[in-house]
Amino acid sequence: MKYDAIVIGGGHNGLTAAAYLARAGRKVLVVERRHVLGGAAVTEEVFPGFRFSVCSYVVSLLRPEIIRDLELPRHGLEILPLDGTFTPMPNGDHLWRVNDHAKTQREISRHSKVDAEAYDEYGKAMVEMARFVKPILNMTPPDPMSLDPRELMKLLFLGRRFRGLADVDRYNQIQLMTMSAADFLDQWFETDVLKATMAASGIIGTFLGVRSPGTAYVLLHHYMGEIDGAFRSWGFARGGTGAISEAIAAAAREAGVEIRTAAPVARIAVKGGRAAGVVLTNGDEMTADMVISSVDPNLTFLRFIDSRELPGEFLDEVRRYKFRGSSGKVNLALDALPDFTCMPGGGPHLRGAISISPGVDYMERAYDQAKYGEFSRRPYMDMVIPTLTDPSVAPPGKHILSCFVQYAPYKLASGTWDDQREAFGDTVIDTIAEYAPNIRDIILHRQVLTPLDLERDFGLTEGNIFQGELTLEQLFFARPVPGWAQYSTPVRNLWMCGSATHPGGGIMGAPGRNCALRILGQKA
Amino acid sequence: MRDVIVIGGGVNGLVTATLLAKAGLKTLVLERGDRVGGCARTGEIAPGFRCPTLAHAAAIDPSLLRSLGLVRHGLRIVRPAVDACAPTRDGPTLVLWHDAARATEAIRAFSAKDAEQYPRFVNSFARVTAVLRAVCASEPPSIDDPTALDLIEMLKTGRKFRALGRADAYRLLRWMPMAVADLAGEWCESEPLRATIAAGGLLGSFLGPWSAGSAAILLLLGAEEGHPVANGWFIAGGPGALADALAAAARQAGVDIRTGADVARINIRDEEAQGAAGGVTLSNGEEIAARAVVSNADPKRTLLGLLDPIHLAPELVRRARNIRTHGTLAKINYASSSLPEFKGLSALDADGQAAALSGRIRLAAGIDGIERAFDAAKYGGFAEEPWIELTIPSIADPGLAPRGRHVVSTYVQYTPYHLRGTNWDAERDRLADAATRTIAQYAPGFAASVLAREVITPLDLERTYGLTGGHVFHGELALDQWFVTRPLLGWARYGTPIRNLYLCGSGTHPGTGLNGRSGALAARAIIQAIRGSQAR
Repeated sequence: MKYDAIVIGGGHNGLTAAAYLARAGRKVLVVERRHVLGGAAVTEEVFPGFRFSVCSYVVSLLRPEIIRDLELPRHGLEILPLDGTFTPMPNGDHLWRVNDHAKTQREISRHSKVDAEAYDEYGKAMVEMARFVKPILNMTPPDPMSLDPRELMKLLFLGRRFRGLADVDRYNQIQLMTMSAADFLDQWFETDVLKATMAASGIIGTFLGVRSPGTAYVLLHHYMGEIDGAFRSWGFARGGTGAISEAIAAAAREAGVEIRTAAPVARIAVKGGRAAGVVLTNGDEMTADMVISSVDPNLTFLRFIDSRELPGEFLDEVRRYKFRGSSGKVNLALDALPDFTCMPGGGPHLRGAISISPGVDYMERAYDQAKYGEFSRRPYMDMVIPTLTDPSVAPPGKHILSCFVQYAPYKLASGTWDDQREAFGDTVIDTIAEYAPNIRDIILHRQVLTPLDLERDFGLTEGNIFQGELTLEQLFFARPVPGWAQYSTPVRNLWMCGSATHPGGGIMGAPGRNCALRILGQKA
Repeated sequence: MRDVIVIGGGVNGLVTATLLAKAGLKTLVLERGDRVGGCARTGEIAPGFRCPTLAHAAAIDPSLLRSLGLVRHGLRIVRPAVDACAPTRDGPTLVLWHDAARATEAIRAFSAKDAEQYPRFVNSFARVTAVLRAVCASEPPSIDDPTALDLIEMLKTGRKFRALGRADAYRLLRWMPMAVADLAGEWCESEPLRATIAAGGLLGSFLGPWSAGSAAILLLLGAEEGHPVANGWFIAGGPGALADALAAAARQAGVDIRTGADVARINIRDEEAQGAAGGVTLSNGEEIAARAVVSNADPKRTLLGLLDPIHLAPELVRRARNIRTHGTLAKINYASSSLPEFKGLSALDADGQAAALSGRIRLAAGIDGIERAFDAAKYGGFAEEPWIELTIPSIADPGLAPRGRHVVSTYVQYTPYHLRGTNWDAERDRLADAATRTIAQYAPGFAASVLAREVITPLDLERTYGLTGGHVFHGELALDQWFVTRPLLGWARYGTPIRNLYLCGSGTHPGTGLNGRSGALAARAIIQAIRGSQAR
């Protein structure tokens, strides 16, 4: 049986690429190592009755083109809005921003009148910035060293767009590309807890602190989400994040894609310098005209391919590519809702994101510990209770608390993550307990995922949730390797379509779509 | 009436004034201190001990050296045989000789792999920074209306970039936004070598080795000499001798220099719809008229301190306020009764020790040690073990100290301008003690050998030397404050929103230390503007 294309990895990017290719008439096979599809966008029943969005837990960045082209709603995708961000503070106060703009302004003016005004301006500026960056998301990055006139045109296009920006927007754009999130926000705001909570988007999945230059870009990256045309709104998929992957898989199957789960790849077959298929660990061999890898460059090039097939410089660059996982995930099955001292009882403040980010220094200190190889004793956390929006994922009356925890450095200075896992989980509980003391009494089960678990269970090298850091030197034409940012690789007929390619991670799907369109020779 | 007043007689101010005078403009330099030179000065810290007061190295652009005849005016450049030496507390000392073969041998004792890699890194660094040097030597282009000249410059730079070839071209693009610890880590494995290279990306900046963007500083500061460690040379007689040579060149070109002339305000002529600079008022009330005013003071001080903000649009004022000038460097100068004896050099004889210590001496407990010193600064404090770079200029230039004695010039970092819960006047001695203790960990007899010390905190840099926020570069060197955005996007070509008011200091492109490039580029832009308006 010979395929036109074999896609390695059934995560959302792999499935997206497969679906686009199949819709263009190609015969495509997807092979997934695990028994479930979705990669890091997966729902699993970890404890009976509790279906966790084990890794990735909110959605916003998923490209609207993909939702439209693949008709995902028809395939069962339903996105429920996540309303607002609630930040409890140690002094008994809180900051609670919601999607209702007027309400948020009133709330911010409780902390600072100046900030309430600046918030308006800031929101507008960020929308402008996201608007500027958006077309770049759907673009195959140009190669600045190429002499091909089409590549030069792309660079010219970017230059023109930049020149087309209003003066003030140009300024913001340059700053966003280079500054630290904290410095960037300092220019607008004075309220510490507001700055800290906003700056948090700048460090998610990145081994940098809020004061590290380059984090303003990650902030923007998280601003590029849109749901139903509304920028930067976040939501849950009904049934958990895995439902997104399931919907893409359904669209792919409908287009004729064959999907095999529990089919771990051992190596990519290369014949005469061309990718010719894959060999599974059970010895099965499948041949195809091309192979598309949605897994990260470490696995693709250092594990699945004989190094003799690759140029030495390319291998050096792949080895240089930085992963540096910095986060863990703790999923809790709860008997009741957490009760926050600063805003007791249930209520709409629990329906959105709950952010443990009481101050800029708090965030920075969390990073400082991680720099020297320890997990933060008081980490930054982004938590959601999806059961308040979608009760179907837990038994009646029970809840799920999904905690994204940073910093948890992949490389520990002493000990191993296998020894430290429970201590890490305890730290998370202790941290929550400072704001919601009842947490200790309502936990039914807990699942602790360290960076090592993310690597072992989900194939994310060093536990990096974006398949490689989103730092400036690893973006755009340099993602994953300078000169190889156009989804192709030094091995002919071998392509890349994962988060390690432009424009990077999050449940965006853009790498999968861009890669497929490039293979098909179509414009985005 | 004068043609041009230059506010501030720093290195760039003197360069600008000289070039303007050579172009036939009647130029007056007003310096508030009792001598010119700005950051280039030599001071007597104890009878017979003369030490670089602020900067201890310079790297004047070679074409300026020639065109201003600085050597003729008495400048004597000292190039030590050693670029940098990195003593450790308990192990051997890494000595990076300027001679590549010798450096390689020294590195081999630490790591054979590094010995192989270091020359490669140095070579690639030289190629890559040649392109940056070209960028540093040209005026940033206008984004809205690039002139034909801008386009030609961009094409020239573009061609240089392409000529690098793929590997180096990608390196340049990839290196700029990186953390300097990562860059050093990509090439080298031995900790002293990594830390010594990384240190070059941190001087004067509010960044730690793990901060992204610090590699850009290493590249920019290293661009002048095209070397990652040997950025700049020393001057016989200390940096004050550079100021003297620049002043002599200026006077010969016809520049009037007035010291003790403290400019309080830039005067604006309001007869036209948009204000234009028409001279200055000194703090003693004296008014001096001129057709144009050039400020060597930093952009914040110029735009927010010397001008009435009423003349500037509110958005511009906001942006000027947001220029980051959070100084992080203190300077401590020591008079020492003997050459410090570093533990790691005890195997060498006296001459050997002196040679090893003749360049920059970088004291760091590895990259993490530097990072920990930075950590304290983030929270408004300074570390008990600051990160220190020192030079002993009296080794190469014994005239700076009495026979057998020495002066030790130290950069002490990280010392944030904003201290939390205290102030620099209260902390001065505690900082100096911490620095002395730290040096003594590497050179045990040092504390006892100190005869006198001069402590210059970031607050002193601001009060005494006019550097806003105590920032030695007049504004953080960072990717968002460089090239077309230095000091402000839209105002990177030495002009300001006020007609006939120009900037020429380190706060303008390229602003990378004592090289005179900002001053030279400013002079070119000012001459063009003045000629253009005369032609109309």
